[in-house]
Amino acid sequence: MIVGDLKPLEEIVSAIKDYKQVLVLGCGSCVTVCLSGGEREAEQLSRELAQMRHYQGPLPKFEVGSILRQCEKDLVLEYQNIPAGTDAVLSLACGAGVQTLADAYEPLPVIPALNTTFLGASDKPGTWTEKCKGCGDCILIHTGGICPIARCAKSLFNGPCGGSKGGYCEVGYGIPCAWTQIVARLKKMDKLHCYEEIRTTKNWKPGGAGGLRRRVRTGLGDGSNKNQTNNS
Amino acid sequence: MTYFRVNEKCNGCLACVENCPAAALDFADQNDGRTLKHNMTKCARCGQCWRVCPQAAIEFQHLLVGQWDNVITLDLIHCRVCGEPLYSPAYRQEVESKLNPSGEALCPKHRQTDAASKLLHPGQARAKLKSGDQ
Repeated sequence: MIVGDLKPLEEIVSAIKDYKQVLVLGCGSCVTVCLSGGEREAEQLSRELAQMRHYQGPLPKFEVGSILRQCEKDLVLEYQNIPAGTDAVLSLACGAGVQTLADAYEPLPVIPALNTTFLGASDKPGTWTEKCKGCGDCILIHTGGICPIARCAKSLFNGPCGGSKGGYCEVGYGIPCAWTQIVARLKKMDKLHCYEEIRTTKNWKPGGAGGLRRRVRTGLGDGSNKNQTNNS
Repeated sequence: MTYFRVNEKCNGCLACVENCPAAALDFADQNDGRTLKHNMTKCARCGQCWRVCPQAAIEFQHLLVGQWDNVITLDLIHCRVCGEPLYSPAYRQEVESKLNPSGEALCPKHRQTDAASKLLHPGQARAKLKSGDQ
């Protein structure tokens, strides 16, 4: 899932202070689950932003809404009501949602309230950890299901660096060394020989180095889709 | 009650069933009838059915803004002073098994009043509280 964090309040206030009426719009998917951008957070943010102490000029009026997924342009256009008089939308979605709204409601300004931080998963209630960089050329089959690109601070490919101490990474914060975890997992799986296999160099083109990534599926939409991608 | 609803324009073409990426739609032909089926636990609410329906028959808003379902109804204990709903007897029992018995059923406000009264007037607090004198 996509994990996001609320931007500093001062930054949000600075971005909205010149508008008269702002729609604070939550997103009901990933950012709801990681407690940063759902309906509840939209209500909380709206209440906080409605405090006069944040503004030197007039206090903007706030409306609150939420939609299941802000990254579905046609659904948003069909089902999300923009109250009359709204002159800006403050989106609590990830970057994909913010951009979709900006396309859908052009020229209405759409302001991001979150920083989209990573693709991750919840290891335990209340904690989300980065798991994937979306590199487009997955190597998890070779690494015991643990991604060294996302989970090693140096994204090393062939084993731990000299900064791995007692199973932890030298960058600190209690971050486990991904390569220590990989070797331990491969041992448990009786697949340590995978570690010694010589592999071809990784193709970074699908990781975004080939420009904007796009995936086209045939058979959907208006029939103009063709099997073409720019990243494989 | 299903959250996946179609209007009278549905002609049973099954475009939604064929295009559902989550396999949340199915159908059953039996005797003279075709029944469209939806499984909410599989549904990703992606809107693909709504997009591909040639009849514009799918009322997707019901999947976006649904209604509340009652799950369970339990007995309730109220604050003895103001009547504010507090918790179920089972919850009280569970908490009391882990903490010291909390005694009277009181809301946070009246628990504070009760504690203050007990400090100031150890003998009279209980009587005052019972009489509703806050």
